[in-house]
Amino acid sequence: MQITDRLFNRLVLSAVTVGFVAVLLAGFVLFATIQRNQEFNRWVDHTYQVQQALADFRIQLERSETARRGYILRRDQRYLAFLQSSMRELPEALAQVERLTIDNPAQQGRVAQIRTLYERQLAFVQESERLVSAGAIPQAVNRFRNDGSIENIIALRDILVEARAEEQKLLEVRTAQQTAGQQTLLWVMIVCGLLVLGVAGGSTFVIFQYTRDLTASRRSLTRLNANLEGLVEERTVDLRRANDEIQRFAYIVSHDLRSPLVNIMGFTAELEAANVPLGELVDRVEQANPDLLSDDARSAVRIELPEATGFIRASTQKMDRLINAILRLSREGRRVLTAEPLDMTALVEGIAASLKHRTDELGATITIQAMPDLVSDRVAVEQILSNLIENAVKYLKPGRVGRIFVRGRAEGTRVVYEVEDNGRGIDPKDHERVFDLFRRAGTQDQPGEGIGLAHVRALAYRLGGIISCDSALDQGATFRLSLPAVTTT
Amino acid sequence: MSQHVTIVMIEDDEGHARLIEKNIRRAGISNPIRHFLEGTSAVDYLENAPEGPNHNGPALVLLDLNLPDMSGTDILARIKGGDGALKRTPVVVLTTTDDKVEIQRCYDLGCNVYITKPVNYESFAQAIRQLGLFLSVIQVPGDEPTA
Repeated sequence: MQITDRLFNRLVLSAVTVGFVAVLLAGFVLFATIQRNQEFNRWVDHTYQVQQALADFRIQLERSETARRGYILRRDQRYLAFLQSSMRELPEALAQVERLTIDNPAQQGRVAQIRTLYERQLAFVQESERLVSAGAIPQAVNRFRNDGSIENIIALRDILVEARAEEQKLLEVRTAQQTAGQQTLLWVMIVCGLLVLGVAGGSTFVIFQYTRDLTASRRSLTRLNANLEGLVEERTVDLRRANDEIQRFAYIVSHDLRSPLVNIMGFTAELEAANVPLGELVDRVEQANPDLLSDDARSAVRIELPEATGFIRASTQKMDRLINAILRLSREGRRVLTAEPLDMTALVEGIAASLKHRTDELGATITIQAMPDLVSDRVAVEQILSNLIENAVKYLKPGRVGRIFVRGRAEGTRVVYEVEDNGRGIDPKDHERVFDLFRRAGTQDQPGEGIGLAHVRALAYRLGGIISCDSALDQGATFRLSLPAVTTT
Repeated sequence: MSQHVTIVMIEDDEGHARLIEKNIRRAGISNPIRHFLEGTSAVDYLENAPEGPNHNGPALVLLDLNLPDMSGTDILARIKGGDGALKRTPVVVLTTTDDKVEIQRCYDLGCNVYITKPVNYESFAQAIRQLGLFLSVIQVPGDEPTA
């Protein structure tokens, strides 16, 4: 699935790339074609210009000839001015033709011929002018007829026709080229248009496809998210049920364990009570008739029985304390929490006051520093902190003046409280252990069942908090309690 | 409380029953004690026995809440919820449970006294003996007044 997807994506990407490259190439081709067409157009235009220049020359030539004849016949000065201006313009028209046909050797050859013929004609014309202005009209007429100027004009005309025909031929070729170029341009434009259309269509299709996929995946993501929430809800319910089950189990177990314990303790007491008259009996027998009393019987009544009952009693008392601890924990777990704003300084001062007797005795001090307030369950918070502070007092190092600091600070949406002492400390390997039920660490010289910190941790968890310990042997200990600034219950 | 009053003890733990009996006797109570180990036979006795409390036999019930076949609160509800003479029978709940909710429920159902069995035997013995002293002075319906 993933591989074909990737392959498909790659194909689409390369198709789009090829499409765009093709469009780019088509653009270049189009540009080149347009350029070439412009060239053709310029050449056609050029040919027209040459033809125009040739025609100009021819017109001037005919005008000069007409003006010459008019002058000879009528001696009118206007004809002379006309003739002179035409003769002046002829070289310019010829120069124009020569400039335009610089690329064409055949036409250049013709231009050279025309120039020769023109110069000869100029000489004829000047001769005519001279004769007419001198008043020798008949000579002028005679010269006009016989000097060969008529043949000269005819030759000029022939060459001009030739040059024009040549240009006409070129024009035909160039027009054909122009037409072909326009045809090519049309095709190139059609191909380009089709290509652009194709690429645009393909891109649109791909975008549409992707958009549809995207929408579909977003929709399925939303659905998954909703499912996930449902799943979390379900799991939470399961967990809560399991937790309730454990609480109930702990309660029932501890409760039902108490019942046989009552019997054990009760009948142990009965045994002890029964041992009293037995002891008296042994005393009396020993006084009255010691022979009746065996050593076994004596030691059984005086030593074995009290010892046995003593052990039973001590063990059952311990068991009772443990069961009570479990019971209390399970009860704490079921207690309904009520969040309220707590004045933490006052709360800790209250705890310190309740320990004043002990701290005075030990010469220890409890210093309360900045305590940010929080919204939480009063009983739970009080129990946690009083347990921690009591522990700090309880496990001071003998021979060192006890210094206990209680402080707090806000950390985002949470508040961290610290109870720091300079007491005996806890070995780092025991940091987790001290929070376990019935587990203790270090020298066992203080009474306790290993319940306090387990209780503290259970309470902290219930409030959505975390408790951790930072300590080393002999270095004092810092217990850090992180609670949500506002507990929702 | 005269000698005619029968003490009906509903207690599944024989050891407890024995200890309770011993200590009641030590308090000087010599009334007959009917002991039932489970709920069914106890209810049967309370409701149907000719000399039982439902037929005006004077009686006082010592009730444990944790029984194998039915809950002590069910028995309490049956004693206090009926129409006959049975509902006037004093019931002393004597159990290991010190759960607040449970205590409230028992009083709601009409129990007359609720005592938690202390685990510590000295306290236990003390409590039962005090109960015995208490029993010696209370009046039970259906009992002929002591002269």
